[in-house]
Amino acid sequence: MQHKVYHESSELHVTGKAVYIDDINVPANTLHGYVVTSKTARGRLLGFDISEALKIPGVSSILSWKDIPGHNQMGAIAPDESVLVEDGIQFVGQALFLIAATTESAAIAASKLIQIDIEELEPVVTLADSMTKGWKLQETVVMKRGDAITTFNHCPHVLQNQLESGAQEHWYLETQVALAVPGEYDEIKVYSSTQHPAETQTLIAEVLGIGRHNVTIETRRLGGAFGGKETQANMVAIWSSLLATATRKPVKLRLFRDDDQKMTGKRHPFLSQFKVGFTNEGKILAYHVSFHANAGYSTDLSMAILARARTHAENAYYIPDILIESTAWKTNLPSNTAFRGFGAPQGIYVIEEAIEQIAQYLKKDAAEIRHLNFYNQPGQTTPYGEVVENNQLETIWKQLIQKSDYVRRKSEVDAFNKKNRYIKKGISLTPVKFGISFNTPFLNQAGALINIYTDGTVLVNHGGIEMGQGLYTKIRQIAASGLGINMEKVRVNATTTSTIPNTSATAASSGTDLNGMAVKNATDKLKSRIASFLRNHWQESCPNLAIEPDGLIFTNNTITCAQNPELSISFNEVVKLLYTNRISLSAKGFYSTPNLHFDKETQQGRPFYYYVFGMAVSEVELDLLTGRHIILRTDILHDTGNSINPNIDIGQIEGAFIQGVGWCTTEEIKWDAKGNMLNHSPDTYKIPGVRDIPLKFHVSLLENAPNPNTILQSKAVGEPPFIHALSVFFALKYAVSSVNNHAAYPVLNIPATNEKLVLAIENIYKDMK
Amino acid sequence: MNFERSYIEFLLGNRLERITWEKQQTLSPTTTVLQYLRGMDHYKGTKEGCAEGDCGACTVVIASVSGNGRLTYKAINSCLIFLPQLHGKQLITVEHLAQPKALHPVQKAMIELDASQCGFCTPGFVMSMFALYHTIQNPTDEDILEAFSGNLCRCTGYRSIIGAARKALSTHATDRFQELEQETIQTLQSIECNDSRFTNLHQTYYLPSNLASALNLKFTFPDIEINAGSSDIALRVTKKKEVLTSLLDLSGVKELKYITKTSQGFDIGSGTDLQSLKEELGEELPSLKKILSVFGSKQIRQVATLGGNLGSASPIGDLIPLLMAYQAKLVLKSLIQERTVAATEFIKGYRQTALIPGEIITNIHIPNPDTTLIIDVEKISKRTDLDISTVSVAMRLQLKTDRTIESIFLYYGGMAATVTFTKNTCTFLEGKKWEPETLKSAFEYLEKDVNPISDARAQAEGRMALAKNLLLKLWQNNPK
Repeated sequence: MQHKVYHESSELHVTGKAVYIDDINVPANTLHGYVVTSKTARGRLLGFDISEALKIPGVSSILSWKDIPGHNQMGAIAPDESVLVEDGIQFVGQALFLIAATTESAAIAASKLIQIDIEELEPVVTLADSMTKGWKLQETVVMKRGDAITTFNHCPHVLQNQLESGAQEHWYLETQVALAVPGEYDEIKVYSSTQHPAETQTLIAEVLGIGRHNVTIETRRLGGAFGGKETQANMVAIWSSLLATATRKPVKLRLFRDDDQKMTGKRHPFLSQFKVGFTNEGKILAYHVSFHANAGYSTDLSMAILARARTHAENAYYIPDILIESTAWKTNLPSNTAFRGFGAPQGIYVIEEAIEQIAQYLKKDAAEIRHLNFYNQPGQTTPYGEVVENNQLETIWKQLIQKSDYVRRKSEVDAFNKKNRYIKKGISLTPVKFGISFNTPFLNQAGALINIYTDGTVLVNHGGIEMGQGLYTKIRQIAASGLGINMEKVRVNATTTSTIPNTSATAASSGTDLNGMAVKNATDKLKSRIASFLRNHWQESCPNLAIEPDGLIFTNNTITCAQNPELSISFNEVVKLLYTNRISLSAKGFYSTPNLHFDKETQQGRPFYYYVFGMAVSEVELDLLTGRHIILRTDILHDTGNSINPNIDIGQIEGAFIQGVGWCTTEEIKWDAKGNMLNHSPDTYKIPGVRDIPLKFHVSLLENAPNPNTILQSKAVGEPPFIHALSVFFALKYAVSSVNNHAAYPVLNIPATNEKLVLAIENIYKDMK
Repeated sequence: MNFERSYIEFLLGNRLERITWEKQQTLSPTTTVLQYLRGMDHYKGTKEGCAEGDCGACTVVIASVSGNGRLTYKAINSCLIFLPQLHGKQLITVEHLAQPKALHPVQKAMIELDASQCGFCTPGFVMSMFALYHTIQNPTDEDILEAFSGNLCRCTGYRSIIGAARKALSTHATDRFQELEQETIQTLQSIECNDSRFTNLHQTYYLPSNLASALNLKFTFPDIEINAGSSDIALRVTKKKEVLTSLLDLSGVKELKYITKTSQGFDIGSGTDLQSLKEELGEELPSLKKILSVFGSKQIRQVATLGGNLGSASPIGDLIPLLMAYQAKLVLKSLIQERTVAATEFIKGYRQTALIPGEIITNIHIPNPDTTLIIDVEKISKRTDLDISTVSVAMRLQLKTDRTIESIFLYYGGMAATVTFTKNTCTFLEGKKWEPETLKSAFEYLEKDVNPISDARAQAEGRMALAKNLLLKLWQNNPK
């Protein structure tokens, strides 16, 4: 893979020809699906009357819970979400009724005529309220090593604090959408903006009360997802399927932006308490952390998200005695869900705060404290007992300190701050160590199906979803390089449950790792068929030649015998020969990540196949009066193993970083006491814009770092670089702290909006008086 | 007044299109251009990301014949304009850019710089870049950032997109649109631009071609709502799903689009778009440029008008505090009278103005600021671009030679239902030295003057702290 490979859809993207679900040309009888939602956060649905609403011209069908043929319960893990409210209303935006109509305006007119009788109850909106009321979603989970509580008694220094990090809306550009097309008997085909077609299929089948073999999900591409379509796409797909089944017509249901923001889950807000014991040098001896996550109204993926928060609670640091507790709390909000990093950013944030606080306390540079505490001995294990293998922390540290010129710039920042009263700078280096694999071992599996046609063109099917991350591009590269043919001969098919069944979500950064290996498994099978055919074929003309499978070179659309390079045949020719010799040109591939285990009782095991490492240095300039700030420079050095596609990987790193910067700075969601979301449109919810990126932005990939035993020795890339944004947050905090020459540790949590920055500075001034 | 024409004509790419409302079932006069495009089989490249002008996925380019007889290309949010606003113009979408087997340079650069990931925002970025390609040769980075101020991308982190723009816009290859410019101009000029009216069962939409017709209409239908750029009123259609029953669109009234510089000051037609204002008066009125640079996005500034911003009387209305500081005057005209109202007297309450039935804002007069005057403005928002003020302030300051304050007027936006003049603070400051300590001692008066709100953007406490800091910021900007 010498030459640069562009995103396989890029030409379609720039010409507007890429087809997203809302762009599919639909039959003229397609109906408009509409969801009538609750305006009450908590209450009981006592009764309703849809008779007047049904009289609106153009309305085909209005469905309530009574019209659900199968189960009125769904949920990715626990079936605790009603498809349509039967009794208990649990958040503002929860679906009560579905309408199918010829136009949106008819549906809206009808929605206004539905009579609803609701008994309102006092909602629980905040984490604090939920904790006071004891609304635990499940029992607290504890992970530990040693005895942190006792060790604190012997630590020279102990610090503690309480922190919050806020909710984050995914803000995929394409809102949730599904197009359901009923077929013969119980068949239904659903084009869904899902990251998890197999689960969408399963849930539709359960709600419709039909076998899964009747339901086909097809997804060609998503307009962004970031975890927001891992479970949250299911409801929209189910609703459109219910309406399509009821009307026997195609139904398209696309959420309007504000409705999408109001109805779907966010990144979990966390409230965390920590206590850290350390030596005079800053070596951490003991750490106790309690994570409290605002789960929203249902289970969704909250327990898995907390599992990742726990397994990332120590980030890149070896901590001998550690106690990690995590609890998910129920509230009357939409169910919070997967979002790039999946609890790891929230967990890592807390240990990084602890480090910063240690540095401020000991009057040392936080980067030094970090370095001192890195995993740095072979055989060191994580709190859950996994050996940290192929550790790249020291290598990255050395290279990045040099590349970013950190030491000099740090002293310049300090000098600048001494001279300037209203403008302060900050600089911070933060690391990430990120475990790759679904925390739940059985999810780590994938399938593929490769068809070679008799003209030598190849169609690759796999179970992964393209959401912009370049999965299809990498799959195409993997298939082409596996078969030794030009990429132009390979097309990657839209992902369909009828072709690749029982897949896992494209999530946990694992899309290429899992599906790429399944594709390789299929190309290996095809190559071995070609090899055994050629062994016979060539031995007829050259009887003493031994052609082992490995004795063949597949390259440049040609298969050549390594032992005797004069023996070669074009790929097209061999394909035709296989066909006429009645040898299958189609192969299924399968992959399951080896050697993964985790004991939920002891919270010990080997949940991750490997770790991704990386570090970032960011420097910011903060205007103390307005809270305005610019990122002057960011340097990131990130480990992607032997990158399959460096351009795509750099794009992933940059994008994840900026998304993280949004979480750390401008993205803020508030709810009123009644459970109404206040920031429910891009008018008041602010993701980073073009002017918010670092003035100097350098991302490089760690060189010479092949990852053993993964597809083409690469590493997953999607989520880990999100963590690099913490460097911006802590640089800002350093700038704030410099107001008082770092005499006290500032009170500033995520997100650090202008308002929060200015208030943090105000508090410092107050303390100085 | 003869509103017989009931159709619009415009170029869709290079094809002349006519939409006649009497025959129309599916399109209404307030159908947005985005809804129109997405309703057709072959124009799905233009995307809906938010339907409120906040993401730019729906960006298209509108070319029109400008005063110098050339085509001007503007990237705008197709979700924020109604079909009649296309009359006499060329609508260019992402589908029109590539020639068979030849991508447009901006498209090519986007591919080569890896500037698309999920691709959903990409057509919008491509169109913003395309407009810039036809607007500024060798644009600076600032020009590029401004062109993208209304486009959001959630995947890439923007560096690659900026890189693509630098690459594409450093080339000067003549594209198909430049080759066809004369032909396009001829077609557009052949389209008749007389008074027109579009009606369906529920709606009447007037598109007068001159001021007399507009005033006549407003006199006949005093309560008719005015569309003066539509970036605000369109939200009632796209977000509140309202059916606007009667509208008076001023976009065809050329008499309202002008900027005249006189010895007394600047006379600005109410139909002047905010981008023109920024570009043409930026030198003379730097504070106006400063606030307009962070007003909405370039896409929005190119459709939003000065009259529209004032007439909508939004509680934030990022321009209003500054116009008050300039002591701007509004000319309000009806068929029977013309009167002048000070900007400070114009806003009467939340979305309420001094306009009486039958009147429209025709022009705004900004007096030439005395060179001894200090006029300044500051705006704080969560994000730099395309974000409404959390708090803003405009100041008119007259200093004596000894640096004492002769007079000061401070107008705060974002603090309450309307712009707030901080009377106690200003009275206190008069006669005092212009220095940070004095301003700090004015904080207690500021607390009396403003009673900030808590909302989605900020809490009252934060707003108060920011409001105080802005006083110091104004000093910092003008220490001497």
